[in-house]
Amino acid sequence: MATSLRFDREWRTGWAFALPGLSLLAIVMGFPLVYAAIMAVSSMTLLHPRLLPLVGWDNIALMIGNPGFRHALWLTFGYSVVTVTGEFVIGLGLALMLNSVVALKPVYFAILTIPMAMSPVSVGLIWRMLLQPNLGIVNAMLEAAHLPRVDWLGSADLAFWTMAGVDIWQQMSFVVLILAAGLAALPRDPYEAAEVDGARPWQQFWYLTLPMLRPVAAITVIIQLINEFRTYDLAYVLTKGGPGVSTEVLSFFAYRRAFLGLSLNEGAAASFVLLLVVLVLTLIFFVITERKA
Amino acid sequence: MTIKSLLLATTSLLAALTLPAKADPIVLRALMEDVPETQIIEAMLPEFKKQTGITVEFEKLAYGDMHDKLVTQLTGASSAYTVLEVDFLWAGEFPAAGWLTELSPLVQSAKFDLSPFIPSMLDLVGHSNGGLYLIPMYNYSMGMIYRTDLITDPKLAAAWKTVNGKELTAPKSLADYVSLSKFMKANAGIAGAAMQGQRGDPNAMEFSNYLFSAGGRYLDDSGKVALDSPEGKTALDLYVDNVKNGAQQGALSATLDDTQRLMCDGKAFSMITYWWMLPQIDDAKKCPAVAGKVALSVMPGGHGESGGWGWGIPKNVDAPTRDAAWTFIQWVQGKKISVARALEGHAPVRADVYSDPAVLAKFPSYSMAQDVVASGKAFPIFAYSAQYEDVLGTQLSLAAGGQADTPTALKAAADGLADLMKKAK
Repeated sequence: MATSLRFDREWRTGWAFALPGLSLLAIVMGFPLVYAAIMAVSSMTLLHPRLLPLVGWDNIALMIGNPGFRHALWLTFGYSVVTVTGEFVIGLGLALMLNSVVALKPVYFAILTIPMAMSPVSVGLIWRMLLQPNLGIVNAMLEAAHLPRVDWLGSADLAFWTMAGVDIWQQMSFVVLILAAGLAALPRDPYEAAEVDGARPWQQFWYLTLPMLRPVAAITVIIQLINEFRTYDLAYVLTKGGPGVSTEVLSFFAYRRAFLGLSLNEGAAASFVLLLVVLVLTLIFFVITERKA
Repeated sequence: MTIKSLLLATTSLLAALTLPAKADPIVLRALMEDVPETQIIEAMLPEFKKQTGITVEFEKLAYGDMHDKLVTQLTGASSAYTVLEVDFLWAGEFPAAGWLTELSPLVQSAKFDLSPFIPSMLDLVGHSNGGLYLIPMYNYSMGMIYRTDLITDPKLAAAWKTVNGKELTAPKSLADYVSLSKFMKANAGIAGAAMQGQRGDPNAMEFSNYLFSAGGRYLDDSGKVALDSPEGKTALDLYVDNVKNGAQQGALSATLDDTQRLMCDGKAFSMITYWWMLPQIDDAKKCPAVAGKVALSVMPGGHGESGGWGWGIPKNVDAPTRDAAWTFIQWVQGKKISVARALEGHAPVRADVYSDPAVLAKFPSYSMAQDVVASGKAFPIFAYSAQYEDVLGTQLSLAAGGQADTPTALKAAADGLADLMKKAK
């Protein structure tokens, strides 16, 4: 009886503490989400701002049947894989270097966090100026080195890679920080044993560091995949989705449908497909963290 | 303190609280494109405040970001922007969505004289959806700005004659223009054309000049889509040819700002652009490399793209704010201020400003500008014009980037226009 009363009291106290936060979440996250879900199955456009009549799955079917949407979806998959791979490979390399550095380590970390602290719009504007083909400093430097000027953002073949490169430049610092923290937390004993056994540095990396770092690395990759799937700012600032449709990622496609096409319902439907993908990635993230626990 | 004095104090306090508060001074806010025209008006705002007591504040933004920001404000219960600068491309959409105040009653009650306004400007940005929703603000019809020093350069003239067997002169047709642009790129060491090929508004506006000059059009006289035509094909072929062989590197990602900088730095022979750009480029302080060496002409082929901005008042503002906005619009588009603006480089929408002696004395090129305005043709204006720019711009970008052939791109652009026009009905 006493245990039951104590449980009852704890249960109530728990809810009392959680309720303000949950209410706030319901207002700032739940309401827009539900409203967007209703909008995705509605006939609402900016010219006819009414939710009714509801059209069911029509908007989502319309999006899935749209070649532009499918292109944007696959491009977003490719973009996410390229950027996350780049961020991880370079980030891991830098984290390993920082792990072995003793002097001035805080200074290096401070420098590395600068791109992360900048907004993607600022990053896009800065890189757009740097990469300006005729007046930008990057091409001026190439020319000074007797190398040909490059059409970084105006070439349909190159714009995707340029945008991915700028993204990697900005997001890499987050990966470095997480992986560096993971590396610092690894136990020293296995390395000492490996050194006694005569293991070379690359063997230590391959057979010790990588397996022990795997949970942290997996979480980092999943977080970054979710981030990259939502990329919008860089496409907007750097290329407006062009040339052609070579940098039209899914978020930008949804924006175009909603605000240029005035079809809020179609934009919401496209966003919901994006949300589903991100949800799946989040589920994977939770499974991995549970396993780690 | 006695009860009497307490009652007296309470009554006085209540009376003070219930007295009508002194009205807050009205502050009008407008979202404006960050271009010289805005700066010209902004410099005159203190004079308006002195005359009327109304403060006007401008928030300046690049064109590409304006539409979305305005739409989000206009769909709300109230708008942060209480006087609107509206592009002609949105002149079909905003009234159709019911976001603008119909201005005819205000015009009639104030006896505001619309007769000096160029009729084509009133048709382009004023009348829509069966009413008058905008008062023309400034004109941005497009023409060709080119380097006169390169046309008269003896070495280039000789090389041109060797290749083409004729004298080097300003081009008279679209094919001549593209040919000259390619020649300049190959022989003058600079881009033949500074092109604004970024997908969307920049390349859709630019291409429209090619289309009209080649004799093509978006819609026929009965309002049916006529873009996919032999003239349209010629225009797109020449456009793609110029992007690939005449334009600067990076043309497919370039905007108006990029082309202006390029021309100003003397790194391009020509640009198809808004005519008001001439006073900006032909300015020894801003562009010493090319000032005195540039001229404006009607688009080679005879017809360029017409364009313009108008002033409007959102529907979601209260009556005093609406009246203040109307006072401002009358002031800024009146003859006196229009002439004062023109003397600073404004692109007029009133015929009486183009013929004003002081304006012509300062800017003789305004007579050519009037020809550019008079010969212009318009992009299709309907509820989905902004989306159509995006649809067309995507196809142009695909064709110019080599991702689609010109017949396919042209057909897709024409089909896109037909679909959107059907959707708008």
